Amino acid sequence: MIDQRIYETFREIGRDMYTANMISSHGGNLSIRLGDRVIIKRRGAMLGALKMHDLIETRIDKNDSGVALASTELLVHRAIYMNTPTLAVCHCHPRTAIAFSLSRDEIIPIDNESSYLLKKIPVVTEEFASGTPEMAHKVANALKNYKIIMLRGHGSFATGQTLDEAFQWSSALEESCQIELIVKQLNEPFIEYRKMSEAYGKF
Amino acid sequence: MPAIKLYANLRQLAGTKELSVTGSTVRAALSELVKMNPPLGEVIFENGKLRPQIVVTINGRHAVELDALLTERDVVAIFPPITGG
Amino acid sequence: MSGWSEKILEIDLSAKTYKTYPLDMEMARLFIGGRGLGMRLLWDLVGADVDPLAPENVLIFTVGPLTATGYQTSNRFSVTTKSPLTGTALDANSGGFWGMQFRKTGHDVMIVRGKSEKPVWIEIINDAVVFHDASELWGMRVFAVTEKLGQSAHKRNVLCIGPAGENLSRMAAIMNDRERALARGGTGAVMGSKNLKAIVVEGKGRPEIKDPERFKFLLYETRKLLAASPLTSQALPEFGTSVLMNIMNNIGALATRNHQQTQFEGAEAISGEELTEKYLVKNASCWACPIGCTRISRTEKIEGEGPEFESVWAFGAQCGIDDLPAIIEANALCNDLGLDTISAGSTIACAMEMSEKGYFDSDLRFGRADQLAPTLEAMAYRRGVGSDLADGSLRLATKCGRPELSMSVKGMEMPAYDPRGMQGQGLLYATSNRGGCHMRGNMVGPEVLGLPKLIDRFQVQGKSSFVILHQNSAAAIDSLVLCKFTNMGVADEYFARILSAVTGIQYDTGEMIRVGERVWNLERLFNLREGFARKDDTLPPRLLNDAPTEGPSKGWVSQLEPMLKEYYRGRGWDENGVPKPKKLEELGLANLGEINHD
Repeated sequence: MIDQRIYETFREIGRDMYTANMISSHGGNLSIRLGDRVIIKRRGAMLGALKMHDLIETRIDKNDSGVALASTELLVHRAIYMNTPTLAVCHCHPRTAIAFSLSRDEIIPIDNESSYLLKKIPVVTEEFASGTPEMAHKVANALKNYKIIMLRGHGSFATGQTLDEAFQWSSALEESCQIELIVKQLNEPFIEYRKMSEAYGKF
Repeated sequence: MPAIKLYANLRQLAGTKELSVTGSTVRAALSELVKMNPPLGEVIFENGKLRPQIVVTINGRHAVELDALLTERDVVAIFPPITGG
Repeated sequence: MSGWSEKILEIDLSAKTYKTYPLDMEMARLFIGGRGLGMRLLWDLVGADVDPLAPENVLIFTVGPLTATGYQTSNRFSVTTKSPLTGTALDANSGGFWGMQFRKTGHDVMIVRGKSEKPVWIEIINDAVVFHDASELWGMRVFAVTEKLGQSAHKRNVLCIGPAGENLSRMAAIMNDRERALARGGTGAVMGSKNLKAIVVEGKGRPEIKDPERFKFLLYETRKLLAASPLTSQALPEFGTSVLMNIMNNIGALATRNHQQTQFEGAEAISGEELTEKYLVKNASCWACPIGCTRISRTEKIEGEGPEFESVWAFGAQCGIDDLPAIIEANALCNDLGLDTISAGSTIACAMEMSEKGYFDSDLRFGRADQLAPTLEAMAYRRGVGSDLADGSLRLATKCGRPELSMSVKGMEMPAYDPRGMQGQGLLYATSNRGGCHMRGNMVGPEVLGLPKLIDRFQVQGKSSFVILHQNSAAAIDSLVLCKFTNMGVADEYFARILSAVTGIQYDTGEMIRVGERVWNLERLFNLREGFARKDDTLPPRLLNDAPTEGPSKGWVSQLEPMLKEYYRGRGWDENGVPKPKKLEELGLANLGEINHD
């Protein structure tokens, strides 16, 4: 039995993700940890319009939801909970961030908010970037030391104490990439305004 | 009319601990408060949204919905970011 | 050299000798310092057969690799022992200057064993340790002793007990730098039982930092973060911790009159706003701290450090008292006597309720501000009614046949936050390893202030995950050793990085929190060895059964049972709250071995 308030939080953040253009209609995912269990979106459901029956509950260490419809990404969410202390995971397909992930191994924000909040976003790569143990492990490992990481060409994985916090990092990242894209289009000399910014890459 | 109670440095900024407003939603009440006391605007709002660190309660319950309706006897309390130990 | 001093100082009070030996670096890597390292060493030294007030109990003072590096709040230190109040594992930590100075003497740990035949005080100047006769100091109060032994902010620092510790009150605190306290659980009684009056430190050493460039960068970023957070840059320096009084009262989670109510009509009169307006002289800070939450308060009778929110609450709302000057004076008196304010106030409140109801014969009554000072004196000297109160509310209430009227968990009095107004806090108190304590993972952040994000304080399902995370994180921070207020502006990931920069060992955020989890489980094992069990993870019946009849928390009792079940599962423990073998292996606690009494 999933508490109504928990469902409402999923629905609200899911809606925010969709309206912010951070996902396509059926893409992305959200999950939370409840003790030794995980609550996650069902495969094929729309984050922008979640119903109570779209949420599945399962054990962290294995899938006992009895639901073959649990998301293909359940594996990676479970791996994240088993390898980090996080309580919530937000997985988006943020367009600009994905574009950036295709040509670099780390994204280092140049705007104020994300330099301040995130410092550096590592990009990890995995050939079969969906639902394999290798991918799950790679993503979980990368999240041991960073709040949000990119899986090249695929999307962002962010952690937090609540869905709202995890979504905040995702949203900040996408905004940051959009700003950097505009900077590139403007193509004017960059005026560095942050002290010790050369150290961000080593965060 | 709903009452608004102010705490910590909000009191100095507004010059009072308590006042009445006519607004019928939390959002309206807060906007009215800021109009009466412009210095509070910066502390309470950021880009038109409630600053995340501000705590607003209605009769002791956290106000999560800014469009929640207020009745005559409701008391809205506003606290700036604080902590304790 | 690794970022730790790598030296343990062991003092034998019975023989009046001392020795130093190397710190086990594998142990240091797993437990870091402070609370973690202290607990690991306590496990080896003190078993279930040891009475907390016997010479076989130990006092383990610890600092961490960050201490004295100059990183923000790198001044704190810990003491670990078996508690005379609860019988559980106990660590207490304190700020000020003493911890920083102790690190500068070139040690990570000081283990104090045995018992001196006559009162003694110890002077540590770098690596030289001198035992001094303390017969002239015995009986002196904290302020006088501190001054007499040459307290001098950055250069020479005094740690001592007052009459409460000498008289073995189970609520006695160890005081340092005059008005800072290793307050809870009776640390002062352990020190008193050893006839140890004071420990004075002077050091000239400097801790090593492995990666100074990275350290500098993180120092700068932390400065920015603390300045940007309204809490650490405005609210705490301006109003101090007591600004919580009005908010806790507003939401109906302020325990009042021995937890009979959840709101206090006199809250405004004892609030942080009132304190700042009428009694605050200025704020102050501990070494290397930019926040400055310390109050310097003045009434007609005294001027001194404090009071903190919990202290104002304990003598205020909990006792039904709204006389703020009397409360400020009571706090100052506790500092001078060396008494824990939370336990003292809540014990007096328990006595007040029982006296009003005829279970205890005394004239103590709620609201009687005039009774605070004389009662505290009586408690420190075990005189008159003080002899009944000196050992805490549980012993008092049990003697009167009403143990349920002690607002304590495992014998330690709970602080201000009423679990009926904050479900997560109730779970926290019930499961805290040292008893009813909020510093083990304060849920006021998420449940009240929205830090990092607001969660519903009445929600039960899923709450245990937050409590577990906060408990682990707090344990990690207590092992670094840093001040938890830094965490209000700086995320855990910075702490992991600063730890790496200082020690040269790459800790990622998860690994650092894992240290906290390891420490938590070890404390649990210690308590299990002492005989604590599931039945002790509970709350007083009042909080489980008696819902407030008015206010925002009206109708709510603590829903401990379902939260506890979820909590055990979330921690990887069985249904009796015993860590499963798999969890112990994961944390490297599977082969701890027997007690080493040598």
